Amino acid sequence: MNFKVCIKQVPDITAPIKIRDGELIMETDRMVLDAYSASAVEESLVLTEEHGGDVEVISIGPDKAKETIRKALAMGAKNATHIVIDDNAEYDSATFAKVLAAHFKNNAEYDVIALGKQSQDTDAGLTGSMLAELLDLPYATNAVALKMDPDNKKLIVTRQADTAQEVIELSIPCIVTCSNDMNNPRIPSLKGIMQSKRKTVEAVQLSDLGLDGSRLSSEAHISVVGYEDMPEREPGKKFEGEPEELAKKLVDLLDNEAKVL
Amino acid sequence: MGTILTNIAISDGKIKRSSLEVLSHCRKLADNNGHVVEAVVMDENASSFTEEIQKYGAKKIYTVENPAFKQPVNTVLLNALSAVIEKADPTVIAFASTESIKDILGALAMRFNAGVLSDVASFELIDGGIEGKRPIMAAKLLEKAQAKGDKVIVSVRSGSYDLEESPADAEIESIDFELDESSIRATITDILSSSGEGIDLSEAPVVVSGGRGVKDEEGKNMVEELAKLLGGAVGASRAVTESGLFPATAQIGQTGKVVSPQLYIAIGISGAIQHIAGMANSKVIVAINKDPDAPIFQYTTYGLVGDLYKILPVLIDEVKKIKG
Ligand SMILES: Cc1cc2nc3c(=O)[nH]c(=O)nc-3n(C[C@H](O)[C@H](O)[C@H](O)COP(=O)(O)OP(=O)(O)OC[C@H]3O[C@@H](n4cnc5c(N)ncnc54)[C@H](O)[C@@H]3O)c2cc1C
Ligand SMILES: Nc1ncnc2c1ncn2[C@@H]1O[C@H](COP(=O)(O)O)[C@@H](O)[C@H]1O
Repeated sequence: MNFKVCIKQVPDITAPIKIRDGELIMETDRMVLDAYSASAVEESLVLTEEHGGDVEVISIGPDKAKETIRKALAMGAKNATHIVIDDNAEYDSATFAKVLAAHFKNNAEYDVIALGKQSQDTDAGLTGSMLAELLDLPYATNAVALKMDPDNKKLIVTRQADTAQEVIELSIPCIVTCSNDMNNPRIPSLKGIMQSKRKTVEAVQLSDLGLDGSRLSSEAHISVVGYEDMPEREPGKKFEGEPEELAKKLVDLLDNEAKVL
Repeated sequence: MGTILTNIAISDGKIKRSSLEVLSHCRKLADNNGHVVEAVVMDENASSFTEEIQKYGAKKIYTVENPAFKQPVNTVLLNALSAVIEKADPTVIAFASTESIKDILGALAMRFNAGVLSDVASFELIDGGIEGKRPIMAAKLLEKAQAKGDKVIVSVRSGSYDLEESPADAEIESIDFELDESSIRATITDILSSSGEGIDLSEAPVVVSGGRGVKDEEGKNMVEELAKLLGGAVGASRAVTESGLFPATAQIGQTGKVVSPQLYIAIGISGAIQHIAGMANSKVIVAINKDPDAPIFQYTTYGLVGDLYKILPVLIDEVKKIKG
């Protein structure tokens, strides 16, 4: 079984961020592997270790996305495709999905395409089902567990729904988007890091895929027009003391001040 | 004049409150901008919901009835919705952001070459589309984004808008939907429901959540008892859904659910941004944490510093005095 995993490089969202004149200012320019993409890589590695087959990662990003691709190779992916875009290109999920679809139309030797259920930075959660529509493949989103049934050419997905989990059988080839609740991605070993240096990262230009960057941007339906701070909450009250006293005070405040009981 | 089509989600035989919130907002947008607001409901018993939907001002209601909606795979929902959209030809399509909608939103947008904003906290109409505010980066900040096109699609976080009735006499149109079995390459083979079954967190007026500070069944029982007394649902941080102490369905946050109850009580939860992302919009936030410097206290209306194992038993007794 061959897995193709779409991985995204994202800014480290735990670093302090400020907004100045509607622009985002990140305290560091540290970029990391999207946690949801990382879970997709991990699960693909586990399944191919069990059932055979290879994992390839694909990332669309500027030159510096190479570092993130290296990380996935160090985790154990066999090879990688880097679809290179301009440093300042700002693509929405639909544009990424179109580029990925163009890539997969030329590289159709996959059984499963795995993605994150959302990106850690934009929290959009759209690319997977967009790609499924473009490639006309069966799909499932928000997977929290995966199993293979290679004899019947099925991927068995446990998906987190609103009030329950659904077990879904997808016929292969198919697309799945992964929750980080699925696993804890491995930390690359020293050996993995050494081996990754010898693995090939194939750099592909948009023109190689018959695409044109500026055309893609102009066709996009989405434009980001600014950023705002989250609405501030009113400063609250904090109490220390004996448990009985605290409990009485809280119930009184909830009942008589906040009136939510 | 254009049409705003809102989807009415049904869960456990009831209309999801969050979809009526979206309808209420869209009805106002339509009134203020000379548009028409319509609704679609897809369910085994779709026509039984039209009366309630009319109260919120939909001028036309499309019903699609099919037994397959009882436990639909995404392609079934997608194909049925597509049939309605072709018929209604709306310029704006609005959803409550439920898991089944998250599942198909991107595919729907691609199918109709529509601009799409997912999980907005608010949106307005602009020339040629919509402008929405989306919490991003684990809800650290808001992104203001515009979607433009012949059609635009938006999904809205639960709790973003209040319910507002505005009764209308709606025209009802039932849409025939033939299930094309051959197009479906996925089957749901099992539904795993955990304890705490049935309570839809995103709709609950009160949510009581446990985190890593809740160490055992004894602590969990107290969290559950408090939730029950307050008529609420049980939530959890990732630390304790991962450990298996709380059901996976209870997770609140960036990966988990977004809730905005009247009252949110965080018990033994530190307040990592990924957890805050799922509950910061709650009206009143209470935390019980033994660490006075825990980040959760930056968000609380009322914070109690202390050991949850000492506070919860007396708190439960105090609540019983009022709710007993
Ligand atoms: C991509 C990504 C997505 C994530 N999504 C989510 C998500 O959706 N939801 C989520 O919750 N997390 C999520 N996380 C994880 C998140 O970063 C935190 O690790 C998690 O929220 C921590 O849970 P916690 O607060 O219960 O545990 P801790 O951070 O360990 O906090 C435990 C708290 O309990 C207090 N405590 C301990 N004992 C007691 C006692 N006896 N009495 C009172 N207080 C006590 C401690 O002071 C501490 O503050 C995500 C992480 C990543 C990377
Ligand atoms: N630039 C990209 N390159 C490769 N994969 C991507 C890219 N952007 C998004 N993805 C994949 O799509 C998932 C969901 O992204 P989104 O729909 O933007 O939230 C991510 O977790 C990745 O797996």
